[in-house]
Amino acid sequence: MKHHLLPVSNKTVHWGYFSKVVTPALTLRSGDRATIETLTHHANDDYERMIKDDPGAESVFKWTKEHKAVARRGSGPTEGPFIRGAGEGIGVHLLTGPVAIEGAEPGDVLEVRILDIRPRPSQCGCHAGKCFGSNAAANWGFHYHDLIEEPKPREVVTIFELDTAGEPFAKAVYNYVWTPQTDPDGIVHPTIDYPGVPVDHRTIKKRENILPNVKVPARLHFGTMGLAPSEADYVSSIPPSYTGGNIDDWRIGKGARMYYPVAVPGAYFSVGDPHAAQGDSELGGTAIETSLTGDFEFILHKKNDLGGTSLEGLTHPLLETSEAWSVYGFTYPNYLAELGANAQTEIANHSSLDRAMRDAFRKLRRFLMTVHHLSEDEAISLMSVGADFGVTQVVDANWGVHGTIRKNVFRCD
Amino acid sequence: MKLIWHGGCFEFPDPGRAMSFRPFTSESYAEGERPEAWRDVLNAVGLQPATKSPFHEGHATASHRNAPGIALSRLAAGAQAIAAVPQVQEDLPIALLAIEDGAVLRCGDTHRIIPAGHLILLPRTADWSLAFQRDLRAIVFSVTSDALHGRISGKLRLAKPQVIAPSGLADVVCRTIEATARTLATLSDAEWSTVAQSLVDLVLTLAHQQAAPTSEAGNSATQAATLHRICQAIERGLDDAELTPARVAQAEGISERYLQKLFESAGDNFSHYLKERRLQRAWTDLSNPAEAHHSISEIAYRYGFADSAHFSRSFRARFGLSPREFRQQKAEQAVTSMAPRGQRGWPQDALAQQRACQAPASLKSDVTLPAPANDQDARRHHHHLAASAEHVHWGYFSRSLPPQLEIASGDTITIETLTQHASDDPELMIAGDAAALSVFGWSKAKKNVDRRGAGPMDASVFGRGAGEGFGVHICTGPVAVKDAHPGDVLEVRILDIVPRPSRNPKHQGRVFGSSVAAWWGYHYNELIAPPAPREAVTIYEIFADAPEPHARALYSYRWEPQTDPSGVVHATYDYPGVPVAPGSIKRRHGVLDNIRIPLRPHFGVIAVAPREADFVDSIPPSYFGGNLDNWRLGKGSTVYLPVAVPGALLSVGDPHATQGDGELGGTAIECSMTGTFQIILHKKTQLAGQPFADLSYPLIETETDWVLTGFSHPNYLAEFGAQGQSEVYAKSSLDLAMKDAFRKMRRFLMHIKGLSEDEAVALMSAAVDFGVTQVVDGNWGVHAILSKRLFEDAG
Repeated sequence: MKHHLLPVSNKTVHWGYFSKVVTPALTLRSGDRATIETLTHHANDDYERMIKDDPGAESVFKWTKEHKAVARRGSGPTEGPFIRGAGEGIGVHLLTGPVAIEGAEPGDVLEVRILDIRPRPSQCGCHAGKCFGSNAAANWGFHYHDLIEEPKPREVVTIFELDTAGEPFAKAVYNYVWTPQTDPDGIVHPTIDYPGVPVDHRTIKKRENILPNVKVPARLHFGTMGLAPSEADYVSSIPPSYTGGNIDDWRIGKGARMYYPVAVPGAYFSVGDPHAAQGDSELGGTAIETSLTGDFEFILHKKNDLGGTSLEGLTHPLLETSEAWSVYGFTYPNYLAELGANAQTEIANHSSLDRAMRDAFRKLRRFLMTVHHLSEDEAISLMSVGADFGVTQVVDANWGVHGTIRKNVFRCD
Repeated sequence: MKLIWHGGCFEFPDPGRAMSFRPFTSESYAEGERPEAWRDVLNAVGLQPATKSPFHEGHATASHRNAPGIALSRLAAGAQAIAAVPQVQEDLPIALLAIEDGAVLRCGDTHRIIPAGHLILLPRTADWSLAFQRDLRAIVFSVTSDALHGRISGKLRLAKPQVIAPSGLADVVCRTIEATARTLATLSDAEWSTVAQSLVDLVLTLAHQQAAPTSEAGNSATQAATLHRICQAIERGLDDAELTPARVAQAEGISERYLQKLFESAGDNFSHYLKERRLQRAWTDLSNPAEAHHSISEIAYRYGFADSAHFSRSFRARFGLSPREFRQQKAEQAVTSMAPRGQRGWPQDALAQQRACQAPASLKSDVTLPAPANDQDARRHHHHLAASAEHVHWGYFSRSLPPQLEIASGDTITIETLTQHASDDPELMIAGDAAALSVFGWSKAKKNVDRRGAGPMDASVFGRGAGEGFGVHICTGPVAVKDAHPGDVLEVRILDIVPRPSRNPKHQGRVFGSSVAAWWGYHYNELIAPPAPREAVTIYEIFADAPEPHARALYSYRWEPQTDPSGVVHATYDYPGVPVAPGSIKRRHGVLDNIRIPLRPHFGVIAVAPREADFVDSIPPSYFGGNLDNWRLGKGSTVYLPVAVPGALLSVGDPHATQGDGELGGTAIECSMTGTFQIILHKKTQLAGQPFADLSYPLIETETDWVLTGFSHPNYLAEFGAQGQSEVYAKSSLDLAMKDAFRKMRRFLMHIKGLSEDEAVALMSAAVDFGVTQVVDGNWGVHAILSKRLFEDAG
């Protein structure tokens, strides 16, 4: 076993997409561990608190008229003229990686254990040592076309501070309504339509004293973790799918084990979209987006060894915690294969919980029948009385419903 | 185990059976079973994997819908080659439209590249194959002669595949096929059937065009095309009682003699053909629930039968039963046909049926007059309401039921409840129990609780029994609360829940429950193991006193048709409390071996009476509470309900030993239990500043959380008006329920917690959990959970 360190910098991130063609930032073997730093793509909502004087973050977010450190952001076109910028923001998450796993082949399953998660403190002057995050109630939120207060519609950014002294919790510091921001290349962003646009704090009006007396219990987790899909070279990081990605389940935190079907040689694991807290549904479009560092252990399960294990027949991401197993149902379980050439944009027109629930039901039925050897009648009775279905997210185009079965159901004398 | 995809057309050849939509995804199947499952998908549209191609095993999805002789599938899968299932007898072609990527057509020794967007008409012969070299993404429309109901289409035999560029009529056909495939899941049965028939006409007209000109067999092809046109003219003129061969021939510019000759060449004659078509169309309308408000003679007249007695005789001669009998039979079949849509209670079409047959029985007749409220008890602070035939109402809520007793705000009350599923094993759950025997008592001569459901007492819709099972829960009550008025809020605190042990001496002290994977379950429409569909009952034993209270399965059985004591046969679980005869079922032991399910005792139903109607189906939950099916409503929890009628009229029932979020198969572990409640009335004028101010829905409070209940249709009775009780079953969606839960939580955070909208949305993203309550109760539910911990510092 070897312990690797993968610090975050413009050399070790790819922004807004999964890709089987990006050069790995790290290659390791099954059984190895790695400490991986991740940055939130919302850090520029408050440059001073979340980027300034942090060399890793500065190197990633650096963007002047002359130099944009990470030009491509999203799976869209990289040749101008651009509407929003290179990559066109079709995919937004800053992902660290990819991490290649020696010997991984399509058909294998990669197990990723999250051993620990730590927040990344601010480096800047009076904020140094404190941890901050940003929540954007954005145009892709579930609420956006259903607002009741004026002005309509509007996007709102709320900056939170994470207190880790005792039982960790987040408290709101201030919020502001998004105003059109001009990026260093001169493109105006009337809405939050491209990641990493520096917000000029002279153009916004900060409202303090918000959410007074409200403490949001921390649920440190990574919103986006997954492997490169095989279907396309550049795949938007927004819709989750069969190789994981932007699942946005807060249960994927410390102690969790995620299992992903490997789709390309080397597996190509990437992680990002760190969250300090999120509710089931991620209603407004984002969580409390906070830069985090994780310790991971990687175990490769070869295709031929899967029979008779919990991983038999696995074609989708699977979560194991100390208490439960969860499967993830999506509107389209593999939208890339199902929706064809324009899948990455088309998926946003099909979002539905009803289809996601159907998928979660099917996946859990298969898990109970294949792994626990139940008959279909047994599986359905057990799901009715012992499995819980919840809303994972309604904001990532490919909406999610998770199905959870507690492990103590199977613990019998 | 062999898993098969039950393509609708194999399972349901009867056109009266509705909701023929079937989704398919390879995700449902283990790897080894996918090839066969996929083969079934292709078979449903007359195709199969081409023998020489390696079989496709990757990810595949399809949506499929069928009608007699007609099947439309939209397929998406990996690269592969397909061919026809050879059918010598079948002349009609398969139409295939490749979308996005083209395909290579091999026919004999020739190849031809077919671009996407071209329509291919494929004969049902073995001499061609179609290879999709990238992905298979196509819409396939298959029509066989069954689709024509005896209609002649003219001899049509394609010698080889025809490729048609999308222009003119072909363009119309392609666009219609595409649009239909896109909306396949959402078309109602009536809409689908109309669209499918039009597609048949379009495709056959196109096929005749292709076959007609230039070919060597030109003569017979021209004849076939002419006959096809004549048949279409007849279709248009069916309402004309005076339609004669002479008039049709004249309109087509041919002689009457030639017209008759054309029919002879097809083995028929004009007048027989005309009559057959008229009877077939009348048959279709009579079996269509949407036509139920038209009288039989109106339908007869529509197809040129001016004399309805003559129509009846002809209909009987052709189909073996009278139009009236036929229509009744179809209405009964609609019961099962509604099942795949997850309908319970009031089926959508029943209202139309009922309007047609009028005369709902006097609603008062079955209501047992209760003992007057115990005035001397009113001063006491604890009450007891035992279960018995006199103390329950079964399957409905009603503002017009006289209360069992009246209590004052602050009083406590112990209420015994019985599960309506006790009859799944009467020996374990009814025998020896005087209360259960009283409620379930049912012999040929006497049925102690006659009304079960909000339907008509004379069972004039389906004939299942009084109340028709439109609503199934045994509710104990109602309990009136002194001084309660609309606008007040009733707080119901659940102080304790105790399971009701078996009173059968043989099982004394043990506790049993039942869970039914029923026809209204979420799974029912897509079972993968045979036989499908099926209903399965699992009997559980409850160990409430174990260190970790849990349930374990005792045995299970498949539902078999049960004859109730009144002689009605229940082929499915369509009426509550039908005693299951032990000899009629086959018990399977060793089920769910080594599995124990932690208990979450709660009441599925806690309701005040709704204001909108006299008899309200107990199944869909709504603003008044009702069948909430949320397991968080257990001991120590409280539910706040908006009072809608004077006295509030509280009822409790549907006791559950445990349930998962979703209640997927249709029921929880249904187990008789007794609850102790404290009831507190909050007057309208004193609500300001309370968490339950401005309450328009059931609000649950647990020790740690606020749980807000979102529904697909928050007040379905008001939203859908008179039809509300049926509409809600057809229109339920988690997406709508999620929207409702979001709106309710936003309102709670803004008005109760004093946040701005922006603060509320930020908090919902970061800290509120939304979950699926149930997808089986007509009005689907999503709940939103707000942890009280968030506000601990609020002071």
